[in-house]
Amino acid sequence: MSGIQIKSLTKTYKSDAVLDDISLEVPEGKTLALFGPSGAGKTVLLRCIAGAVEPEAGQIILNGMDVSGLPPEERNLGMAFQNFALFPHMSAEENIASPLKARKSTRDQISTAVRRVTELLKIDHVLGHAPKELSNGQKQRTALARALIAEPDILLLDDPLRNVDAKLRFEMRLELPRLLSGRGATVIYVTQDYKEAMALGDTIAVLDGGHITQIGSPEDVYLRPANTAIASLFGDPVINLLDVVPERDESGIFVMLSDQKVHLNSGYDAAVGREAIIGLRPESLRFANEGIPVEIEAETPFNEKIVTLTQTKRGREIIVSRPAGTDAPSTGTACIAVEGTSAVLFDRKNGERIVPASDEKEQAA
Amino acid sequence: MSYLTLAGVNKIYGKVVHAVKDLDLSIDKGEIIALLGSSGCGKTSTLRMIAGFESVTGGSISLDGKQIDTLPPAKRGVAMAFEGYSLYPPLTIYENIAFALKGSRLASSDVDKRVREVAHLVEIEDILDRYPSSVSGGQQQRVSLARALIRDADLHLLDEPMGQLEPQLRALLRGRVKHFIQERGLTAILVTHDQTEANALADRIAVMEDGELQQFDTPRALKNRPANLFTGTFIGEPPMNVFPAQTRLQDDRVHFLLEDDVALDFDRASFSDAVVERLDRGTEVTIGIRPDAVNLDSNGKPAKVFVNQWLGDQTHIAAEFAGGSIVSVEHQRLALTEGEIIGITIAAQDLHIFESSGGRAISHGGQLNER
Amino acid sequence: MHHYSPLERVLRGVALTAIVIFFMFPIFWIVLMSLQTNETILRSPPSMVFEPTFSNYAAIIAGRLDSNVASMGIEFMNNLMNSIILSVGSVTVALILGVPAAYAFARHKFRGSEDIAFTLLSFRFAPPLLVLLPLTMYFQQIGLADTYLGLIWVYQLICLPLILWIVRGYFEDIPQDIEHAYRIAGHSWFATFRKIALPLAGPGIAAAALLAFIFAWNNFIFALVLASADKQPVTVGALAFVTASGIQYGQIAAAVVLSITPTLALALYAQRYLVEGLSLGAVKG
Repeated sequence: MSGIQIKSLTKTYKSDAVLDDISLEVPEGKTLALFGPSGAGKTVLLRCIAGAVEPEAGQIILNGMDVSGLPPEERNLGMAFQNFALFPHMSAEENIASPLKARKSTRDQISTAVRRVTELLKIDHVLGHAPKELSNGQKQRTALARALIAEPDILLLDDPLRNVDAKLRFEMRLELPRLLSGRGATVIYVTQDYKEAMALGDTIAVLDGGHITQIGSPEDVYLRPANTAIASLFGDPVINLLDVVPERDESGIFVMLSDQKVHLNSGYDAAVGREAIIGLRPESLRFANEGIPVEIEAETPFNEKIVTLTQTKRGREIIVSRPAGTDAPSTGTACIAVEGTSAVLFDRKNGERIVPASDEKEQAA
Repeated sequence: MSYLTLAGVNKIYGKVVHAVKDLDLSIDKGEIIALLGSSGCGKTSTLRMIAGFESVTGGSISLDGKQIDTLPPAKRGVAMAFEGYSLYPPLTIYENIAFALKGSRLASSDVDKRVREVAHLVEIEDILDRYPSSVSGGQQQRVSLARALIRDADLHLLDEPMGQLEPQLRALLRGRVKHFIQERGLTAILVTHDQTEANALADRIAVMEDGELQQFDTPRALKNRPANLFTGTFIGEPPMNVFPAQTRLQDDRVHFLLEDDVALDFDRASFSDAVVERLDRGTEVTIGIRPDAVNLDSNGKPAKVFVNQWLGDQTHIAAEFAGGSIVSVEHQRLALTEGEIIGITIAAQDLHIFESSGGRAISHGGQLNER
Repeated sequence: MHHYSPLERVLRGVALTAIVIFFMFPIFWIVLMSLQTNETILRSPPSMVFEPTFSNYAAIIAGRLDSNVASMGIEFMNNLMNSIILSVGSVTVALILGVPAAYAFARHKFRGSEDIAFTLLSFRFAPPLLVLLPLTMYFQQIGLADTYLGLIWVYQLICLPLILWIVRGYFEDIPQDIEHAYRIAGHSWFATFRKIALPLAGPGIAAAALLAFIFAWNNFIFALVLASADKQPVTVGALAFVTASGIQYGQIAAAVVLSITPTLALALYAQRYLVEGLSLGAVKG
């Protein structure tokens, strides 16, 4: 069986478990986005796969072969590093050619391959430069070219866009799928940016505190986050999380917000009477003539969106977002309408999601 | 009469590096201003000259009608939050914040009230008793922000105040800080390289590049009426789509010929006479279209989708178009797949036209750029 | 960046000149002495005015020590040669042993590695005389006394810890990701050591080697005890200038000038590489 399989991987440093019983599977040719806050263990996991770090327990199977104990050079994979890790005493060309040199390719093969990959990445004009003469964007592309050139089956990308500026990061985010899909490589893409995770991952694995807290499609993670922590890591502006106790009256299930009953659609029965947290995405809220009465605090335009911070009668803050160019009140009092199906309810004690229930696909994973 | 005035301010380091060139800025009381630019654009030098950490090589700075550029920092009545936090390590977080009120002769109960209020604002109530070394970078930055905001100063200077903040707190804190500043009528200048931060917080943004002020305007004007191609492409995320084009006027139509024989044509009436006259003179231009103005319409010009990325509340679609690529932002999820052909239409009112050399704006949405 | 007023500039100049004079004066004075005869050196009051002579240098190179009483043969040039053999030899051995060891200590943390590294450093703390007496006996038993090999071996007490600790620091400063990247590219650990670690730590290795060379060159006590006349380095050989008929200051000065020349030349030559190496370090941004 091809692709990447990781079984019960554990790694501890000084008796702290950095990775605790991690199991993952990436089917051949698919991209797994490994997402998590800094210090979550993403980098350690990637280094275990690359062979740079030896795990205490567990198995790593690459393309059907258990690679535990194999040194990095025999694992036949490509990797791009967050800090680029270019060889400072070699030119960009020597950097890129390095994996082919190790594979004893001929001079002709090397120069053809270098030309092809560097044209694709638009760095063919800086081949003779030393790394310190390259701009950050060029460094990052050189590092990527080095990872891609030997056409490895397994590609590990460790937050490769972290150290480039916002515009370049955006451009590369659009370009990467094209670069990766043509090669059929199985990819693990580590990132701290939820947008990259959603845009590039066929599947997203959320790593937090050494545990995988959720594995699922971008849709699963965004619409059905496993807990409140994941809910607030995905989405910008951040999801509104408000303490509520759902109740039932003659017209269905409701929660109290700003002394106002807000009715939820059916399907939220499991949460009735429980101490809960309701998660409301800012984009699922809109200003309307009736709804939750709020005081507008500040309006902050944001990337083709306009984000408004409001306060309920009980002093709770709610963020509302709408596409730029649409009109809405920007000061004073207003009412917010909630789109009933988009709410997520979490258990207040442990932060775990109560409703909506997982779909079948996620349960299988 | 403006509140803070920078007149012909220059900063030259060691006779060689001309960091700030002939900068004129006037800021009204109660405004929030952002100095925005990439690193080395002169924004931080400008802020440091206002604060008094850097001498002015030429020109003058006055605050509230009083020239301040020769005064030592402490006499200028400015409060500053530093990018590097600069918290006092031997003091607790609480003491660090209260320290900013040392000179104000407030009763200790008042100090306590204000510290707790601002601590609540930036969500650091639970770490007030800890020392700076034991809290995270994001928390230190929030403390630094709190310390700058708590002071009663004539002017608040914030150097990259939110760059290190935890992403999940950013939207909330932007709203709260903006509300706090507006409610108290404070005048604030923030320096940032992050245009989303500038757009979110500032009433007006001064875009700087290479020591020169490119444009000083409201976020809306920067987006809709950029003075040149630099600001046009610098402001806006995702960035503006840009194509080189040749114009051709024909009867009652205006044509823009792009690469790969793609032609965009518009009704001549969509452009003012002055614009038409200007386009008649020089035919080589650069056109720009904001991603949210790229409309998907099956009757439009064909483009081949190469990526469709759903980000939860937005969808970014990129397609091969006119020898380059074009990006469209949609606010709902779309089921387009790689390789699919879509139609693209662009309205004349969304078209930005720039000179092909120098990049000065010619027109926005059919009206001549008047700067 | 700061701007200095003219007054500040003048004061800085004065301060710097004073420091340079303070540190350079002994060397300057030695050079002056080496160009004078014993009589002019010892006259009172001392004077800067004299007729320069190269007789001291001539005598040393010719191997004849002339005093106003008698003339005797000295082995100075031989001593100089011994110094070179011993210093170059011990630095070479220390590099061959120390650099791989430093790499191992830097990259492979194993149980007790820190203790072993520290033990090696602690050899530097031991009073040499304490080590020397038993060592002399052993050396005599196994026939190493008064051999270059034996001396070079003992000199490792000076050179090896120095090289080990300095070079280890340089290896640790190389971001590990660079080495990982090279191995993931498909190269063996040994190739990584040769092609990545060694070149990147090169300036550090050069600095350590230079320092070790100077320490070895200046060593006195090991050679005094363990070497006979024909294996003595300059430091010990200089004792010969203290004769029954007085101390030959002019010739000592000339000998000093000759013996510091190699280390000085080496330091000046290596300086260029040291500076170059420091600017290579940028990995990111």
